[in-house]
Amino acid sequence: MRRVKRILLSLAVIIIAAVAIGVWIIRGPGPLDFAGGNKAAVADYRAGKPTGVPVALEKASLVERGEYLAKAADCMVCHTKPGEKQFAGGLAFKLPFGTLYSTNITPDKETGIGNYSDQDFLNAVQRGKRHDGAMLYPAMPYASYTYMTDEDLLAVKAYLFSLPPVRAPAPENTLAFPFNQRWAMLFWSAVFNPDTRFAPDTSKSPEWNRGAYLTEALAHCGECHTPRNLGFALDNRKKFAGAVTAGWRAFNISSDKATGLGNWSDEALVSYLSTGHALGHGTASGPMGEAVDHSLSQLAPEDVRAIAVYLRSIPPQASPDLPATTAPAAPASHKEGVTADARGKMVFEGACVSCHGWTGESLVSPTATLTGSWAVNDPAATNVAQIVLSGTKRTTPDGALSMPAFGNAYSDDEIAAVANYVTARFGAKGSKLTAKDVAELRQQTAQ
Amino acid sequence: MATTLTINGEQKSFDAPPEMPLLWVLRDILGMTGTKFGCGIAQCGACTVHIDGKAVRSCVLPVSAVQGRPVTTIEAVGNSPAGAKVQKAWLDLEVIQCGYCQSGQIMAAAALLSATPNPDDSDIDAAMAGNICRCGTYVRIREAIKQAASGRQS
Repeated sequence: MRRVKRILLSLAVIIIAAVAIGVWIIRGPGPLDFAGGNKAAVADYRAGKPTGVPVALEKASLVERGEYLAKAADCMVCHTKPGEKQFAGGLAFKLPFGTLYSTNITPDKETGIGNYSDQDFLNAVQRGKRHDGAMLYPAMPYASYTYMTDEDLLAVKAYLFSLPPVRAPAPENTLAFPFNQRWAMLFWSAVFNPDTRFAPDTSKSPEWNRGAYLTEALAHCGECHTPRNLGFALDNRKKFAGAVTAGWRAFNISSDKATGLGNWSDEALVSYLSTGHALGHGTASGPMGEAVDHSLSQLAPEDVRAIAVYLRSIPPQASPDLPATTAPAAPASHKEGVTADARGKMVFEGACVSCHGWTGESLVSPTATLTGSWAVNDPAATNVAQIVLSGTKRTTPDGALSMPAFGNAYSDDEIAAVANYVTARFGAKGSKLTAKDVAELRQQTAQ
Repeated sequence: MATTLTINGEQKSFDAPPEMPLLWVLRDILGMTGTKFGCGIAQCGACTVHIDGKAVRSCVLPVSAVQGRPVTTIEAVGNSPAGAKVQKAWLDLEVIQCGYCQSGQIMAAAALLSATPNPDDSDIDAAMAGNICRCGTYVRIREAIKQAASGRQS
């Protein structure tokens, strides 16, 4: 008997150790571990103030400060269904295992967060725990927001509570088993949510720390730009290496020279973040376009610069599927260059060339220039197809410029053909999209 | 915003917000109504003008983006050799039916001929496919471009 017990005990120890090691391996490093310096508590960090609002807003009311922080955290885009009331929720997140809907975060007492105490709000945003004790799904990026200070989050709460309450119950999620088991998120959260506040790195500049706070805790850039691990959490071993999220490719924003931001000038980086466009680097569309419109473009210039400083420090990660350099402008004549896809060319010359030109350098506006953008240089053509399907709109110093959505005007076949033509003509390597691929892309972004 | 543009070789000054499309300036401010509004999203070609001699859709072109670049419209395209040849061929072959799209068609064809004096069918497709004609005058348009290029008389 004693021997059996000992064997069982050893087995249990081995299993627990194996699980612990497994969890440790899957979880990997935290988002700021790459920096490696000594950490200090925000209160003890004297070199600068990495949290809170920019200097110009320090004297502003709690609600105004909360509004700035809510914009920096981009709460509105996910918590608003297109065409419906802001912050009233209902936006669909299409996941491989079902659809999740964002919730109403207006102060409506029954369907919103009107009954949330300060502690309830902190529990939800920092710990993923709802008012009624149920766990949130990590589509709500609480593993990023957890780095926000209590003070900043309560300012956001004050702002949300200053809005008119909207009665709007969230639609029922349609997740398949076992993903419909909310309680299981307790384990997810225990493993993947650090539940810790931002701690400045004393070896870095105040500007870097401000950038780190904005990028990691508020702007939650990694949620789209960092690939996910087995547990569907961010894999910071490949921090900012790029990933496909919600049907769009979020490109590599590590400091890799070829496929990341390593070769971007400071001006280009600041311009892209604050206006959604940088000369020769393309134009933000889809989810990044929304992030620029509703969040990044609303930030104080010093905050955008701080984000740029921080992004520059991310260790390089290569994207092996992208070409080492983006393709130069295509020839001026439609006869020269790649013309393999006759159908794609037909669509292009009818609907696209009048703005984008045969060279890819637009006569209408630099924001419509295709040359140099990662979208046309991505051999998967994900974003090219998405922009053709859903169009894009960008506000520039010259006013708003938009591209119409062609999703209802052209068939999946035609959209695949034109995407393949565009990536072949203006990118380094043509894509091989099929009608089926386009149909799937449509599904992933349909609301 | 006070702006001065060179339009058809003349300096034109006007007040317009920087984001106003060139087409609005031409038609509503300067009263040059030869250039037509069709779709407003650069999909039909009715609003085509020349900027630096190249065909551009004026309905999506913010006037601030035109600064310093010469504009030619249908009112003056006949002053260029290619434009004159195109207009003559258009009359000779009676290309026009209702006419609404035709200033755009002529501007696109004139830009094509000044860049490619002897276009083949694929060149005509590449330059003209974005100019839509609901009367279906495409056959005569193609013929007129070829006639203008060859200089032959009908």
